[in-house]
Amino acid sequence: MFSRHVTKDISAYCQGELPAEASRQFAEHIISCAKCRREFEEIKLGIRLAEQLPLVGAPDSVRTGIEASLGSATERIHVNRWWQARVAAVAAVLLVVGGLGVWWFWGRGFRADLPRASWEVQRLNGAPRIGEKRIGAQGQLGVGEWLETDGNSRAQIAVSSIGRVNIDENTRVRLVETEPTEHRLELARGKLSATIWAPPRLFFVDTPSAVAADLGCAYTLEVKDDGAGVLRVTAGWVALELKDRESMVPAEAACETRPGVGPGTPYFEDAAPSFRSALEIMDFGSDGAAKAGALDVMLSQARSRDTLTLWHLLARVEGNDRARVYDKIATFVPPPDGVTREGVLNLDQGMLDRWKDSLEASWFVNNTIVPKPIAETYWRLKNGVTRRVKTLQ
Amino acid sequence: MAQKHIDGAVIEACQQGDRDAFQLLFETYKDKVFSIAVYSAGGDRAVADDVTQQIFLKLFTAIRQFRGDSEFTTWLYRLVVNACLDERRRRKRWLPWGETAVMANPSEKKPQEQRVDRLEVAAAVQEAIAELKPKFRLPILLKYIDGLSYEEIASVMGCSKGTVASRLNRGHSQLAKRLAHLNNWAA
Repeated sequence: MFSRHVTKDISAYCQGELPAEASRQFAEHIISCAKCRREFEEIKLGIRLAEQLPLVGAPDSVRTGIEASLGSATERIHVNRWWQARVAAVAAVLLVVGGLGVWWFWGRGFRADLPRASWEVQRLNGAPRIGEKRIGAQGQLGVGEWLETDGNSRAQIAVSSIGRVNIDENTRVRLVETEPTEHRLELARGKLSATIWAPPRLFFVDTPSAVAADLGCAYTLEVKDDGAGVLRVTAGWVALELKDRESMVPAEAACETRPGVGPGTPYFEDAAPSFRSALEIMDFGSDGAAKAGALDVMLSQARSRDTLTLWHLLARVEGNDRARVYDKIATFVPPPDGVTREGVLNLDQGMLDRWKDSLEASWFVNNTIVPKPIAETYWRLKNGVTRRVKTLQ
Repeated sequence: MAQKHIDGAVIEACQQGDRDAFQLLFETYKDKVFSIAVYSAGGDRAVADDVTQQIFLKLFTAIRQFRGDSEFTTWLYRLVVNACLDERRRRKRWLPWGETAVMANPSEKKPQEQRVDRLEVAAAVQEAIAELKPKFRLPILLKYIDGLSYEEIASVMGCSKGTVASRLNRGHSQLAKRLAHLNNWAA
């Protein structure tokens, strides 16, 4: 949909080696291209693995071998007085620092898993806690630490330099990881609102029933005490994932999640109530007859915009039900050239993606913004002011 | 990069035969050079020991030829890459293709379900990197052992930045495929 594939640029993108314009194009493309997203995930794994490569200390035999090769004893690489003095000074400093460190650790109780990095937390209301401690106006949330709010408190987290997350009342979140290629929170319960202006797939939220992968967007995510959740997207796109199940949720749409099932099927919040009730039965019901009836309701109630839901259903129903879903979508937007009924019914991913590209125009009828606002919004926000000033000049 | 204190004055002192300057140079780079050598030699520490010695001996004798036209790190890593490739060519004459010494701490392949800790992952990554072709392995070593930029790696390898990007891409991809069973660990 958006220009050529970007697979050859994935490593350069992840490692900040692409120029700004190329990064923007990359981010725009990857939002809509499942093929590139799959490779993006693979290469990100490769990068994370390569980052584990340890430095191997050179053995003393290297030094002695060099000394021997250099010949006479007078030519040996030696540690002279200046060097010895320098080593002694460093050792003294280390001793003092080490002593202070021991004292400090002893005083607070030694923990091997001290936070490696942290995010700034701002108190918005009440008395949010990080671990056991109440924070003042501000605090630092370290990797592995929990931030918790009670019924009267709220907080805001600065997500590195890529966005912010508001934490509502009665919420418990943990900073799982913050690295250049990935920032990850865990939402155990409660509600958060995230606004992320980074390129896609840098910010993730783990919940008990799905992982929300940011594609450059704003959204709210709520997890109930039983682990069920609901995602509501207000700008851009979010992918909800669990194992092989993925739901792409655009602005104005929502998606429920359930423990043991994963993400349900996304739907626009202005869909008919009967359509939404039927979808809940399709996603999380266990009665076959009820599901058959629910599909009938959905197909009869579906609007053009609800092809978002129907397109996702294609891979989640089988046999004749899949054919019925196909036929319903085709009445709204026929498949583009090269996309065949047989291919779609066989879940050919390339064909499904191309049809989805055609369908997207009908999903954003209420928006004047084109359906790729995610990265665009981010880049517009980031670069727009500068451009505007230049235009005015 | 970590070796920022190796400035022009240190290089100049080395060129004038100052042993202290050599000492500083050696201490700064010995682990990085040895790491690249050991990974290039498929984990054979004895070979890596020899190669590292050769590199520093060459560095000590040839440093007068360094004129500062490029970054010192680029010049040094060119020596390293050439020495590693030469050693590999030498060994290929005697060893069947693919035969390499066992890494110091070889890891067993773990089932996906099994929890793998960071050390085991590091060992698995070492093995997987040893199996990559040199043209994919060397850019990865330069990137992750010393944090060279794509441009610096291109200068060391004598190729374009685009080629470096492409080789790193393929290297990362091959690592991910070989170590797909660690996906849960990385998630």
